[in-house]
Amino acid sequence: MTTARDTIVDALDIESFVLCESELEAKDLIGKLMQSLGLARHVIVSLDFNGPGAHFRVRAYMNKPGESYTWLKE
Amino acid sequence: MKILLAPLDPVHDAGLKLIKRKLEALGYPCVLLPPDITVEEIGEAAIKEQADMIFVGRTVGYNVEQLFRRLRQVLTVQGIFGKVRVAIGGMAITDEMAKGLGFEAGYGPHTTIQEIHALIERNPELARHITHPVKNKPEFPFPHENIFHDATAQEYLDRIVDNILEWTSDKTSPGVIRAHITESQLQDVHGSVESYTALPYTRDYLAQCDETVVDFFQKNICPPSVRQITQNEIDAFNRRVDIAKKNFHPRVLRHGRTKPLVFVQYGTGCPMMDGMHIKVAESWGADGVLHFDPAWGARTEGLMDGFLTNAEDGTPVTYANLSLIKRSLDAATLWTVRAHRGLNTPEIAVLSGFLGADMSKINIVYGSICGGTDPARLTVDGVDAIRIAQRYGMPFDIPTNEELAGVPPQKAFAGMLVMAALGKRLGAQPILKPLLCHGPYVMVNEYMEQNYVDYNFAKIRALQQLCDFPIWPGEPIGFMTHSEEKEQSAGTTSLHAAMCSTLGVDAITTASTDEAFSRGPITADGRVGALRAIQEAFRFFGETDVQPTIKADKWQEEIVDGIKQTLKNAAESASFVDALYNGVFGDKNDGVYPGRAGKNSIAVAARRPPQPTLAGV
Repeated sequence: MTTARDTIVDALDIESFVLCESELEAKDLIGKLMQSLGLARHVIVSLDFNGPGAHFRVRAYMNKPGESYTWLKE
Repeated sequence: MKILLAPLDPVHDAGLKLIKRKLEALGYPCVLLPPDITVEEIGEAAIKEQADMIFVGRTVGYNVEQLFRRLRQVLTVQGIFGKVRVAIGGMAITDEMAKGLGFEAGYGPHTTIQEIHALIERNPELARHITHPVKNKPEFPFPHENIFHDATAQEYLDRIVDNILEWTSDKTSPGVIRAHITESQLQDVHGSVESYTALPYTRDYLAQCDETVVDFFQKNICPPSVRQITQNEIDAFNRRVDIAKKNFHPRVLRHGRTKPLVFVQYGTGCPMMDGMHIKVAESWGADGVLHFDPAWGARTEGLMDGFLTNAEDGTPVTYANLSLIKRSLDAATLWTVRAHRGLNTPEIAVLSGFLGADMSKINIVYGSICGGTDPARLTVDGVDAIRIAQRYGMPFDIPTNEELAGVPPQKAFAGMLVMAALGKRLGAQPILKPLLCHGPYVMVNEYMEQNYVDYNFAKIRALQQLCDFPIWPGEPIGFMTHSEEKEQSAGTTSLHAAMCSTLGVDAITTASTDEAFSRGPITADGRVGALRAIQEAFRFFGETDVQPTIKADKWQEEIVDGIKQTLKNAAESASFVDALYNGVFGDKNDGVYPGRAGKNSIAVAARRPPQPTLAGV
């Protein structure tokens, strides 16, 4: 184990609310957010746009089944 | 021991009132101060009352550290701190924080009276059952009469089971032959994983396998998404599991009722990821887990061997993989290994039986019309697998996920009852596994337009009307009612669980909150979300029941009639296998077709003597 990120079993989910004017804009913002956090390998799990913006959950996989898991490295 | 209880809060003192009542019941004299007092007044009251110990409560969370630091200073100036024992508590208080501030202990919102009692007496044994709970493995399935109540249904079932046993009595298959080879090898090495994995492949075994499996053994070639796990990975994984076991404190999800048990299905593709998900599920209250193998594994003749991980859904069944998962289980966790629908059904039953799995999963009907396996082949293999399950003392559950394709429940349930009758005749322990789902048949006929309760009640009650076998809705409950949104998914799962509690079923299989998410693997966090929601639903309803509307009675009657009609049609078919081919249990209009994997693979065998018991299937 070297970093806190290495201890994540499989994925890091981020759930929040972004202010925007469309679902498309929300997706663009979420993509930029994840890039800025250094979490390029991500997927939007759920997204619900209405009124002021979008409620979303986005997921960055740290360890996928079949890979060499960070939590098994010492 | 006189105790002073001081709410250091403008209004809230409910927690301390509760503690006072319970401590007085234990025989401690207590004095409760009113809310909205100063820290100085606490010290003054402690002197006046000659208190031996002070519990100071602070519900509001902001500035707590600052406030309690000042409390300590004031009590020190007053000459109390160090002479009178002081513990602090509240929503934002932890034991670590309290001790860091110099207090004897801290108690948070979930602290029990037993823990407070243990603190007062300085005797951890008084709260040992809270701080170190023990969970014993349930005796499952729970006792049932295992009988059919309906004479007409029983008569049809007797005829169908007679036919199945007669039809299969002189037949064998590559799957049956492999199972017997594997069983013999395992007996030779006394079940040792190391010795079994080190055995050279045998020509007899490979003669019954597909090219993929032959290549694996002879050329060391894995299928594209599969790789071998290294010994370093296994060692590191086992160390992780040991840490999880050391820090494990069992939780119980139910509140006031002993049923239903809660199972989690796993099959991420990797036995190590599965193992970690299992540790998470156990820690958040799951009573049991189910192993799901990959779809291609069901359509390939033969099983590979060794520690294998798969980058796609479904964890390869090998003796080594299953043993790795078995090692990760808590002693109280029930373990089921799915065998039911493919070309390796009897062999998987042998492997899981040898490893001491608690249960298996076998359904000839589902596997034949919805699982892709040829009906004749799976009938031969399914009967053999039930015999194996019986020999190893593994009850087997009978899933009815053909409802997801569009098969009406009355047809799916008729197939399930045939399997139950067959299992009973063979001396095994069948478990009924109806699917509680918003499936195509339900959607088209608008049975759930108004609510999800009535039709599900009708389904379970129809089964309860016809027979008394264990009932375990799965796989998972609420199928097709989930969305990708975590809150919605957890909500619908928990409400289905609460409904199942009312229905008195023996167990349920829960989804994760990733149930409807198909663009990536299920996460450990998703499993926690669903289990927490179920726990909250059980806490909310306790022993209160959910009531359906009168529509449930009408639909129950329709389902019972439909089951009996399907059984009649099957009993009057030339054979059970013909009934499967001809769509009696579901046809193309219901979205299902007879499978083709293993077609024409049945061989003639020495005739098995007739099964002795006919009456009382």
